[in-house]
Amino acid sequence: MIRLRDVTKVYKGNVTALRGLSLDIAKQEFVFLVGPTGSGKSTLIRLLLKEEKPDSGRIWVAGKDIGQLGSWKVPLLRRNIGCVFQDFKLLPNKTAYENVAFALEVIGRPAHVIQAQVPQVLDLVGLSKKRDHFPSELSGGEQQRVSVARAFVNRPLILLADEPTGNLDPNTSVGIMRLLDRINRTGTTVVMATHDAGIVDTMRRRVVELDRGSLVRDQARGVYGAFT
Amino acid sequence: MAVNLSYVARETVSNLRRNISMASAALLTVAVSLTLVGGALLVKRGVDRATVQWKDNVELSIFMKPDASAPESDAIDRQLKAMPEVKRYHYVSKPEAFDEFRKIFANEPDVRDSLTVEQIPPSYRVVPKQAEQTKIIGQRFTDTAGVFRVSYAKEEVDALVSVTNFLQIMLWAVAAVLLTAASLLILNTIRMAIFARRREVAVMKLVGATNWFIRIPFMLEGLIQGLAGAALAYGIVWIGRDLIQGRITGARNDIQLFKQFLVTSGDVAGTGILLLVVGVLVGTVGSALAVSRFLDV
Repeated sequence: MIRLRDVTKVYKGNVTALRGLSLDIAKQEFVFLVGPTGSGKSTLIRLLLKEEKPDSGRIWVAGKDIGQLGSWKVPLLRRNIGCVFQDFKLLPNKTAYENVAFALEVIGRPAHVIQAQVPQVLDLVGLSKKRDHFPSELSGGEQQRVSVARAFVNRPLILLADEPTGNLDPNTSVGIMRLLDRINRTGTTVVMATHDAGIVDTMRRRVVELDRGSLVRDQARGVYGAFT
Repeated sequence: MAVNLSYVARETVSNLRRNISMASAALLTVAVSLTLVGGALLVKRGVDRATVQWKDNVELSIFMKPDASAPESDAIDRQLKAMPEVKRYHYVSKPEAFDEFRKIFANEPDVRDSLTVEQIPPSYRVVPKQAEQTKIIGQRFTDTAGVFRVSYAKEEVDALVSVTNFLQIMLWAVAAVLLTAASLLILNTIRMAIFARRREVAVMKLVGATNWFIRIPFMLEGLIQGLAGAALAYGIVWIGRDLIQGRITGARNDIQLFKQFLVTSGDVAGTGILLLVVGVLVGTVGSALAVSRFLDV
């Protein structure tokens, strides 16, 4: 589903974010991306979305070499990838329902599809009763659920999550992780960058550790710290 | 690409509403600059029309008084025939002059029907053997009975052309500067609109909205500003021309008609269409620049 070969990314000012990274992630896998701040986790996610271009190396997403992708096809790539962020990125002037519907609306889905899909996915994340609440009226956990619903409403092949529990308390985080786990079981590949050792240790999924842009550990059913 | 029309309309209107002051500034600048462009074009049309009597190398025209008698007219004819300096000449009778007049103002029924054949001055159009003799010929007729006025092509045309050329260059220059300003203002308005919606734009990019889907509401906003400005300019040009024309024709419409400097509603309509096209172009270019520079899609 995702394949990187010798990917190097250097930002302006000679900051090397990724150094010859090669990585394969299979369909339906659930992968934790761990490592200290600045290790290249976020860069990896940006590269997969083609928000950045690698300086060298090649990246395949869903069987396509995204380096070969014309810029007009990038939106189509992104429709296959759902995204969840630490800061939710919800639109404050739209309700939960409207935030989710917006994602379908702007990719030109017809109204009847939107009306069918949005309630379904809000039900999945457990927010059917709060569909008409604005983000400011929702707790952090609930906002993140809306954000997950928005990422998933188009049934993407891949779900990328960049520290989705970074702003949430442990109990709420567990709820979000259950949700991501459920989504993973529907066949969606999930890649989650995180600093949350507790979550990684509980879930026991594949762990990919980066350090200063290099792969230092790739462990099936791994834990957050190598020696804990 | 399936673009939801109601979505585009909604976004465009809310963008414009959010930036109402900037949008109006851009709109007014477009209007003022295009008014000047329109004015310059109409001045040019007026000059073209005012110099129509000078075609076929006619160097001077001797206008008779509309009420000049036949003997007075015959006297002029005899004199012209006897002059060795005159290469050829022809008489434009009242009906002919009237026809010419009606042709010039074919699109302008108000002006066309404002005069009767009787009010039109007949004239002699004279071609001298050598251009230098023009003045000498003309002077002989200046004080002759029945002659209203002798006008010289070179002088009249030169004076008219030099004044109007200067006027036109001024108008064009000011209009060019203002049009640039208008484009920049539109660019700035769009940039602010994009800034105001940056969260939405970020989310749209994230979930895979196509670039055109994101761009269209912003570009449409610029286009509307340009078009509305142009429409306003059209209105101003139309009213302004009516006011000026009203003064000219109202004052002395009996004899001065060949000196008259009139533009028809056909001219105004043609110019207006050009203004609308330019307005749309300015709006689209300004917003396209803004979108490509600030949206980075």
